[in-house]
Amino acid sequence: MSEDRRDDAEGPDARLVERARAGDEAALTALVRRHSGVAFGVALSMTRDEDIAQDVVQDAFIKAFGALDGFRGDASFKSWLLTITANEARGALRKSRRRRETALADAPELVASGDDPAEAAVTASEAERARSRLAELPEKQRLSVALRVDEGLSFREIGEIIGSSEGAARVNYFHGIRRLRELMG
Amino acid sequence: MNTQDRCAEVREWLPDHVSARLDAERDRLVREHTEVCAECRAELELIGLLRESRPKAPAELADRVARAALGRRRPVRRPWWGLSAAAVAAVALGIGIASNEGRVTTTLQDDLAAEFEEGEFWVSDDGLLAGAPTLEELTDDELAALLDELVAESPGGQG
Ligand SMILES: [Zn+2]
Repeated sequence: MSEDRRDDAEGPDARLVERARAGDEAALTALVRRHSGVAFGVALSMTRDEDIAQDVVQDAFIKAFGALDGFRGDASFKSWLLTITANEARGALRKSRRRRETALADAPELVASGDDPAEAAVTASEAERARSRLAELPEKQRLSVALRVDEGLSFREIGEIIGSSEGAARVNYFHGIRRLRELMG
Repeated sequence: MNTQDRCAEVREWLPDHVSARLDAERDRLVREHTEVCAECRAELELIGLLRESRPKAPAELADRVARAALGRRRPVRRPWWGLSAAAVAAVALGIGIASNEGRVTTTLQDDLAAEFEEGEFWVSDDGLLAGAPTLEELTDDELAALLDELVAESPGGQG
């Protein structure tokens, strides 16, 4: 269903990749236009930071394009790109964690004020409330729900990204949905 | 197929239903089923809320990424004067770059250095040294332009 076999004016991914390999800049640009949104979704789900997520997407495309020659045409370009994106996001997370640890060693812990989640939830719209509840889920559940609902990825694709089997991705998704329904009351 | 049997497949399809990715036949099945099944209807409502609040990529992201990614493939045409002064100096003076081995030997940017892999260096669009082509790859005109910029920008330079 979410398998990407788009065949719009620019043709399917496989054709674009072929042209991109030959150095066709229009094809490279088309691949960016087509997939930077979903890559951003993956990066943001993992890093939860818009700026970091944008950098991750940029680095992922640069890496993917640099390695196009080694890309096997039998895999989907999108899945391959998203796996690279997930790896970049993990790297970015490790870096920002290291940086934060260094910063926290020198600074007193910040206490958020006026940011009581229960209070905020009353005023937020139901959609925003669902979104903030999603952030409370364990990582694999959160990612499985976000990638399935926000980005329309298949469980196989999600499994590749979170480093689990398709079946485990499906279980994480349904656990996450059930937990969210409980949280939403 | 009874209502309960239908639940499993309908629940699987709900995300594609709310994002209009489902084919007409399955879409109809989802609509019919959620009319009569309160459980699946509640789940549809939740997924609809999530869909409504999904994060969107910044409008300028695709342009930015395309520029950066294309820049990497056309290194010789990069505007070298767009580099940070430190990186330009390092490149121009050959500091820290053993061009044949493709390694960084100074502490230009720890994080970037950690990311370097075997191969050539390139210059990324935001002006960071992210693996740049060696100076030998530049034309005489480009080298001259680079040196002009360096002189103009350096303290006590002409500019
Ligand atoms: Zn049902």
